[in-house]
Amino acid sequence: MTDLAIEATGLVKRYGNARTGRTALAGLDLAVERGQVFGFLGPNGAGKTTTIRLLLDLLRPTAGSLRVLGVDPRDSPKTRGRVGYLAGDFRIDGRQTGHEALTYLGDLRGGVPAARITELAERLDLDLGRRIGTLSKGNRQKIGVVQAFMHRPELLILDEPTSGLDPFLQQRFVELVQEADGNGQTVFMSSHVLSEVQRTCRRVGIIRDGELVTVADVEKLRRSAHRTIEITFASEIDTAVFDRLPGLQNVTVTGTPDGGRVLRAILTGSPDTLVKTAARFEVTGLLAEEPELEEIFFTFYGHGSHTNGTKGPAS
Amino acid sequence: MSVTVLRKYLRDNRRGFLGWALSITAVAAMYSSMWPVMGGNSGLAGAIDSFPEALREAFHLQDYGTAAGYFGSTVYGLLVPILLAVFAVSAGARAIAGDEEAGTLELVLAHPVGRVRLAVSRWLAVLSAILLAGAVLLVVELAIRVPAGFTALSTANLAAMTFQLVLFGCCFASIAFGIGAWTGRRTYATVGGAYLTVVSYLGDSFLPQIKGLHWSQYLSPFHWYLGGEPLVNGIRWSHCALLAGVGLIFAAIGIRGFNRRDIAQGGARD
Repeated sequence: MTDLAIEATGLVKRYGNARTGRTALAGLDLAVERGQVFGFLGPNGAGKTTTIRLLLDLLRPTAGSLRVLGVDPRDSPKTRGRVGYLAGDFRIDGRQTGHEALTYLGDLRGGVPAARITELAERLDLDLGRRIGTLSKGNRQKIGVVQAFMHRPELLILDEPTSGLDPFLQQRFVELVQEADGNGQTVFMSSHVLSEVQRTCRRVGIIRDGELVTVADVEKLRRSAHRTIEITFASEIDTAVFDRLPGLQNVTVTGTPDGGRVLRAILTGSPDTLVKTAARFEVTGLLAEEPELEEIFFTFYGHGSHTNGTKGPAS
Repeated sequence: MSVTVLRKYLRDNRRGFLGWALSITAVAAMYSSMWPVMGGNSGLAGAIDSFPEALREAFHLQDYGTAAGYFGSTVYGLLVPILLAVFAVSAGARAIAGDEEAGTLELVLAHPVGRVRLAVSRWLAVLSAILLAGAVLLVVELAIRVPAGFTALSTANLAAMTFQLVLFGCCFASIAFGIGAWTGRRTYATVGGAYLTVVSYLGDSFLPQIKGLHWSQYLSPFHWYLGGEPLVNGIRWSHCALLAGVGLIFAAIGIRGFNRRDIAQGGARD
């Protein structure tokens, strides 16, 4: 028994024939540990959906090997009973009610308690008695959320799950993912909405042009990032003290109309020494801009395009 | 085979399936109830008997004056089998290809259902729907047999005719199903099924009138369905085997292809 929920080695996927074909994945290596909430980031067309469809055995790899919960998805449809899947544009036959649809999908998994379905529907404020065809896009997506979570799967595979959802549902969704995390379930979530990844995932992999560019801890990424600092002091300060601090750059000090000083700088790493130094003076205001994962993300892309620029997909 | 999948597929499509069964039955009942007026010893039968033989053969108009001749050419000769073939082809094309193109197939495939199991279950669901249409048709024909005065056709022979009609429908449903499962394209399945229906009809009716092409009817599912005159002779097992065999081959090859290929994403993505 392996401790990896997802393991891909040299995964290649080409669509079409050799002449007109397109390479969606060019040798992807990926390892997601059990119990991890893993964010899979990348721009549209990078290969996120292709990877996910390979994990579900909807597509067959051109080359390379793939293991989901320890087995090749091709060999064992049964394994999908322990997986929950949600696509961002969840689609389902509209001729049935939510209740009928969820009971059927539960039956395919060997039965899901009706109480569990009702509980999730209530949390999401979803009316199960209505025909799905009459539901709004957001409400239809809720059906998708329920079917992915209802059987408490070992592995949740979520493909841009919150695209097109209202803020209420996005919040409920983040709670569900955090709950799954608390239960020790593994979550593999593709996204280009970075804030939702930031709130749920501990590790992220960044994919670009069908290859994994980097894998890192969200916290570490955030810590290594630069943040803008602005401290307002009541009176004059010793600028030189701040200049000497490690991790502080571009220090500027300006005066305020009432005789105080404003210090602006860019901080890398821990803010500890800066706070302790500032405490020697009377501080009247403090502003630290939280680094957006987005910025970090684009740092990686900028970097990636330098080193990887010639290895794009053959289109 | 998964009973859950089969039952759900029948349930989801119950309106369409019942609608087709009732429409086909209504057409058959209408034709049947005209037997006392059009067939038998009416003047029309006499007039048709004076048509050139080739024309009568092409339109299955031999023995218009007997019940078996009339029913073989009208009720079971053209409109009912063609309607059933249209139903069968469209249902067969939708079972995999239609669902895949709509983008709703991947949800089921993301569940612990193997592809072969899913395909076999849906194929059997479509065949059940055709069987249902045949059953409704037979019950109604048997009910009006005495009032409409065609007791010359025995219950057993009417049942035999319906049985071969059902096999004929299953054959075309399987052809469309197989093409759809193999390609994932509903259009290919529908066009392919419709094309073979027309060719098979022509191969049994008009082509044999051309000198030297008489053999073409033996290759036609239409001939396997009607050529043995089940209304007179009862079930022709060799013809049944041919209908079932062709259907099975198409379904089996289609399911094999379906199990090996990529599933299309389907639908319009935003």
